[in-house]
Amino acid sequence: MHLDIYGDTLTALVTAAALSSTGHQVTLRVPAGPVADDLDAHRMPYQEPGLELMLDQQQKAGRLLTGSAQQMSEDRVEAVFLALSPASQPFAESVIDQLSARREHSWLVVNQSNFPVGTTESLQQRLRDGADPGVHRAVICMPEMLQEGAALQSFMRPSSILVGCDSDWAAIQIREVLRPFNRLRDVMRMLRPREAEFTKLAINGMLATRLGFMNDMASLADALQVDIEQVRMGMGSDPRIGEAYLYPGCGFGGLNFSRNVMSLANTLESSGVGSELLEQVLLINERQKEVLFRKLWQHYHTDLHGKTVALWGAAFKPGTGRIDNAPALKLLDALWAQGVTVRVHDPKALPALQALYGARADLVLCDDPYEAACGADALMLVTEWKDYWSPDYPRLRHLMAQPLLLDGRNILDPEFVRSSGFVYYGIGRQ
Amino acid sequence: MRSRTGVPADAIWQQLSERAAALQDTHLAQMFADQPDRFAQLSCRAGPLLLDLSKQRVDVQTLDLLGRLADARDMRGWINRLFAGEPINHTEQRAAMHWALRVPPEQPSPVQQQVQEQLERMTRLVERIHAGQWRGVTGEVITDVVNIGVGGSDVGPMMVCQALDDAADERAVRIHFVSSMDGSQLSNLLHQLRAHSTLFIISSKSFTTIDTLYNAGTARAWLQRTLGTAPAVIGCHFIGVSSAVEKMTQWGIPSANQLALWDWVGGRFSLWSSIGLPIALRIGMKGFRELLAGAHQMDEHFRTAPWSENVPVLMALIGVWNTNILSIHAHAVLPYDGRLKHLPAFLSQLEMESNGKSVTRDGEPVSTGTCPVLWGEVGPNAQHAFYQLLHQGTEPVTCDFIAPARRYHEVRHDAAAAELIGQHHLALANCFAQSRLLAFGEAALPADEQLPMHMRYHGNQPSTTLLLDQLDPFSLGALLAAYEHKVFAQAVIWQINPFDQWGVEMGKRIATDTLELIKGSGRASGMDSSTLGLIQAAGAAFTSKDA
Repeated sequence: MHLDIYGDTLTALVTAAALSSTGHQVTLRVPAGPVADDLDAHRMPYQEPGLELMLDQQQKAGRLLTGSAQQMSEDRVEAVFLALSPASQPFAESVIDQLSARREHSWLVVNQSNFPVGTTESLQQRLRDGADPGVHRAVICMPEMLQEGAALQSFMRPSSILVGCDSDWAAIQIREVLRPFNRLRDVMRMLRPREAEFTKLAINGMLATRLGFMNDMASLADALQVDIEQVRMGMGSDPRIGEAYLYPGCGFGGLNFSRNVMSLANTLESSGVGSELLEQVLLINERQKEVLFRKLWQHYHTDLHGKTVALWGAAFKPGTGRIDNAPALKLLDALWAQGVTVRVHDPKALPALQALYGARADLVLCDDPYEAACGADALMLVTEWKDYWSPDYPRLRHLMAQPLLLDGRNILDPEFVRSSGFVYYGIGRQ
Repeated sequence: MRSRTGVPADAIWQQLSERAAALQDTHLAQMFADQPDRFAQLSCRAGPLLLDLSKQRVDVQTLDLLGRLADARDMRGWINRLFAGEPINHTEQRAAMHWALRVPPEQPSPVQQQVQEQLERMTRLVERIHAGQWRGVTGEVITDVVNIGVGGSDVGPMMVCQALDDAADERAVRIHFVSSMDGSQLSNLLHQLRAHSTLFIISSKSFTTIDTLYNAGTARAWLQRTLGTAPAVIGCHFIGVSSAVEKMTQWGIPSANQLALWDWVGGRFSLWSSIGLPIALRIGMKGFRELLAGAHQMDEHFRTAPWSENVPVLMALIGVWNTNILSIHAHAVLPYDGRLKHLPAFLSQLEMESNGKSVTRDGEPVSTGTCPVLWGEVGPNAQHAFYQLLHQGTEPVTCDFIAPARRYHEVRHDAAAAELIGQHHLALANCFAQSRLLAFGEAALPADEQLPMHMRYHGNQPSTTLLLDQLDPFSLGALLAAYEHKVFAQAVIWQINPFDQWGVEMGKRIATDTLELIKGSGRASGMDSSTLGLIQAAGAAFTSKDA
């Protein structure tokens, strides 16, 4: 099929790569902006395993073309995907208006953007206005379920595909587009468009709530001298609860995850229904991003002036170079406000940090984790990159000014760290 | 008795008395009828303020005579002495330079460097708190700030915070005010606050005010119960504002948390100094500097405008006319804007603590009456309370009506703007209608309405209306400075020192003796029977409760 994909999100790139890899003829139309600039300069805007290679291969094979987002889709195009950022709703409407103007043309539009609940239906109304009788037109919703860091994998081997669709014609079309990814068993679930949109928001709200709850429990565990790891494993063994998303830590970030949580909260708020629980979840998460700072502040008796702190990890999760809403950002602000110099290592996120903060004397970006630890009065482990799971403790002990380790992801063994001569703080750990 | 109703024998006072006698039988309604351009003749403007004196029982000739009274009392000379920083608070050998707190940084003033330095310190504190980077001892972000102070260290900042809530900085923290020595406000507040995220400001010019130190001690003990007794607890949770650096340090406040003021700022004139920290925490430093700028504009106006256009001087002279010539000894302040609800309390301190004096600068008993009894309330609420007395009572009362012309056009009021603007128009209508009814009485009603005696309105009650373009930091600064200078100008006419307050000192002293008696350790000899009886009754109540 001939498919057009509008968007500058990770979803747009992943969708383009995955669909072209199965033989579809895809045109990727990226609106002007930093992402478009990166692509023009042959830089990858998103660090995702395998994505760059696959985009490259598909372009070479001639199945993936890039086109201007200002230009209209050609007549042979059978489906148009909108994978736009949440702020681009007006642009989505302008694309719809252009499609709609071709009165005799049938259009399937697949909305993957994180717009408020109900947007898909209103876009469909817009698309159908003024169409010739007898042509097929539908806007359906396919909320993105990408796990950042494993985005391509989660698109091509999905555990479920949610489709919000109220047209039989559109259902047949979308099944054909996605057939290669829905083979082992049928994981496609058809709902009304607004139900699909809402489901996506509710899933993220639930996951965030689990994390918020565990962080709350970890604070209590700290105060009650209970080891949260024991509690977590005990809880996870109960099948009613399960093991996923029970890891306490120093807060969650990420563009999609946090934005979605917030847009659910806003949806509820503007409908007049209180969203006290989610508001608390977000608040707890923001507070949690500073938990390592609070531990450091107390350890040094409220005097951090002139100290040096090493940060291991700045990306909001391992496997990505992105720092949107990452806990590291709040830590940097808090540390800088106290006159602390911060030395940061991250395998992928240093360019993003550099772009956000520019050159400043109290920020030192290090290509090597041990270089970051040089002369540090504390080491904070913020993102659980595999590189950090087995540190060379004697070397750290030798390099650091003070043997103080704050483990924001509970990936180290407190006993072992302590026996290596360090003071250890985890999240709710003994 | 100290009541003074006579007027001095000087020619100018006599002429004023004669003028009053000539006007005595002319009802305000008649004055308006005789003089169609009365409003134009008897109103004037200073920056964002419109002063309407046309509903006062005066004419242009009276104002002229009052201006000559100002000259006779050397008003110009006294204004010059005020702005030259001379020690015109002679009983304490101090200057009164609250105006210097408002001089813009680019203009020279005798104390410019000190003032700007404290403003810079304040800016740093405010910025840190607003950024969420002022940390409690456990590293928590500060969400609540409690101002502990009394008198000038309480009512001024509280009044301005309330008045300018529409101008609140979006990053502002919650501000609470605690003043009463009995701990009532504090005990309520401590139930609601979390020690970890609460910051206290101890605001006391002398740092010896017993009310404030007791409240501060209670706050400290409350914090220490939760957070421990390490010195860092005080370092993270207390800011001190005082002119007594050593006493702040002794109390445990680290020098980084200290803001200074100087003995040339009187307590009731101090909201422009570091004492205004809660204001800056509410409206940001930008708003605080606008407040200062509005006051500075009024300072310049007061310093340079001729009497006939000088808003503070005209307010002062009208007050003198009403008090000394028309013998009206009560004055009500009536803001028609709920945001100004603490303004009457603020002005009653400013005017009565400043000019509630009966000895001249020469140490002689005054020859005229001085400050009238002043009180007030949000106008529309007072209409349901004491306006009955204003309209039909036997005691004459002068009134200041205060209202903003525009309201509710800010973005934040979008949701209910139309309805709220409607409510504002209703309040304005009531403001104008009440002053009209007070002035005109029944003459304000259609001519053919004959009323029974108990429904009649005599009218002829004088009032001033102060109309602000809108209530914002700049216009409020101008309004408050106008009242400050009014107070000073009246003190010049009455030949008294408005900047001391010896009348509040003795009470503090004898309370100390009384406390000893209540504790059971003092000597009862020489104590009067009423005090002893009350102490005994209170003591009986303690023991019966304990039993």
